[in-house]
Amino acid sequence: MKMVNREMFIWLLMMLLTLSTYAMGKFAVDGLAVVMFLLVTAAIKGGLIIRDFMALQGVALLWQIIMYGWLMLVCLTIAITYIVGL
Amino acid sequence: MELLVFGIFFIVYAVMRVQNIEMFNHYQLTLNKELGAVNTLLLISSSYFVVRAVHAIRDNKVESCIHWLYAGLAGGAGFLILKALEYSDKFSAGISLSTNTFYMFYLSLTMFHFLHVILGMVILFAVALKAKQGRYSAENYTGVETGASYWHMVDLVWIILFPLVYIIR
Repeated sequence: MKMVNREMFIWLLMMLLTLSTYAMGKFAVDGLAVVMFLLVTAAIKGGLIIRDFMALQGVALLWQIIMYGWLMLVCLTIAITYIVGL
Repeated sequence: MELLVFGIFFIVYAVMRVQNIEMFNHYQLTLNKELGAVNTLLLISSSYFVVRAVHAIRDNKVESCIHWLYAGLAGGAGFLILKALEYSDKFSAGISLSTNTFYMFYLSLTMFHFLHVILGMVILFAVALKAKQGRYSAENYTGVETGASYWHMVDLVWIILFPLVYIIR
């Protein structure tokens, strides 16, 4: 039951983070700080899915490296391209 | 493998955007952010429902597992309907893959993801059918976990795709 409550909390947290992302887009807010906030938000949501929904904490280290590595690599590369484009 | 392809797609999109910033920023404003946000909420909720299905089968609650899987499928169906509406809007405006670089990426990225949502739903439906036939239990639920993992991967990809294509500018 405790685990279900934790996952429900994570689900609601991700819904709130999604609404904050939408608000940024709705008001056409831009700038490096905003882009970084949006990418960090996406990385947090992705990390929560990998850790808590896919339940990767108990599996082989290699799978954890692949999943978290993919998420970090994608978010970091996008961040770098936005910095370059400023 | 899918994650690798999507990862490359995302990075190429970001690099191409740097070379066409004005065009990407301009055409990004034509996308329906509301539908994109609702679709994100649908996929996140659907993922959570599938998590509950895995918990249910671990507790040997087969009926509950099937109901949560159906709830997950409903979220996926909602996503497909809204995405189809979005495509219909764009196609009726004469937009296609060859319209410009931004739409080429928008359509190919989201359609590739759309196909993965369909495949994920087929997998979840097959898992639900097998559960209904009594082929899963608290001792044997690897199939449920595998189907759930694929569905979470589809969600994970959209969580990057939504801000990248619809929001970040």
